[in-house]
Amino acid sequence: MAEPARIDARGPRFAASLTAVLLLVATFLSLIGVSTWREASFGWFAYQPLSGETFAPGGWVLPQISPVARAADPGFLLVLVVALLFVWGVSSPRTAPWGVLYRRLVQPRLAPPTEFEDPRPPRFAQGVGLFVTAVGLLLHLAGVPWALPVAAAMAFVAAFLNAAFGLCLGCQLYLVLQRAGVVGRRGPASA
Amino acid sequence: MDLALALVIVAVLLAATVLLGLVWRRGQGRARAVEAGEVVDPRVLESGPFGTTATLVQFSTEMCTRCPGVHRMLSAVADGRAGVHHIDVDLTHRPDLAKRFRVLQTPTTLLLDGSGLTVRRFGGPPTRADVEHELDRLTKENAHG
Repeated sequence: MAEPARIDARGPRFAASLTAVLLLVATFLSLIGVSTWREASFGWFAYQPLSGETFAPGGWVLPQISPVARAADPGFLLVLVVALLFVWGVSSPRTAPWGVLYRRLVQPRLAPPTEFEDPRPPRFAQGVGLFVTAVGLLLHLAGVPWALPVAAAMAFVAAFLNAAFGLCLGCQLYLVLQRAGVVGRRGPASA
Repeated sequence: MDLALALVIVAVLLAATVLLGLVWRRGQGRARAVEAGEVVDPRVLESGPFGTTATLVQFSTEMCTRCPGVHRMLSAVADGRAGVHHIDVDLTHRPDLAKRFRVLQTPTTLLLDGSGLTVRRFGGPPTRADVEHELDRLTKENAHG
């Protein structure tokens, strides 16, 4: 693989901040959504804050409803949107919406970039984000309570640390996996 | 779950993440003294010869976003000093080296003295001032010793 053109290092962090905002909202929506409901507060189609949760809880609501009803949860839909954005970021980083927004609207207003980076690490990180959100979505569809808010919260932590502190959990994870021998791409070096 | 509890959980999540980031950033790039460090052989790293005064051994991977910036900084520091070399080791295809030097994050930078003995270890991107400071100290020790 040829060395890809280097990109403005601020682009992926801009994208990570928007993703972090979406994921924080998604965490909130899935917390108040069907994922955490108990039978005691049944009546999940009533879209209003539920107050009767203090007395003895029954079983989880989520396993008892149909997959279509599970998917109709606002938290699920928002996490799905974020997951699709991750798919876009992994498959075609040049056309991914946040990148386009950054290059069209934000970059022209900033000083010329001083830090450039390889586009592959942020792409790898998008893949990690996709994995985490996809696991949450699938477990939620399968009827596992709390899977959705937990997955959204984990993805939020990673996106926020990247946006605010420039901490790339993807790279750290890659090295740990590599050391454990789980991944270890041998063969001709592509760098 | 009711609205208030969900808001509290989201607020705690946000605060905990900020705290985590701050704690992580505090520990980044600090120089740590290496007790009983080992003498590194240039052949192990498959690099060129070490510097006669000091060598900065940087461990990177392809996936590391902050390695290129650290590479430029360390190169510039090494270029500005006689007898100081900078070596960048790509661990992407060398898990054996990552294991041998116990590298858990990139960039990790080792400071070797003139004999190849590991004297300092920087986990994360070091600041230029810290690197200069450690090199000054090493040069001074050399002059006295």
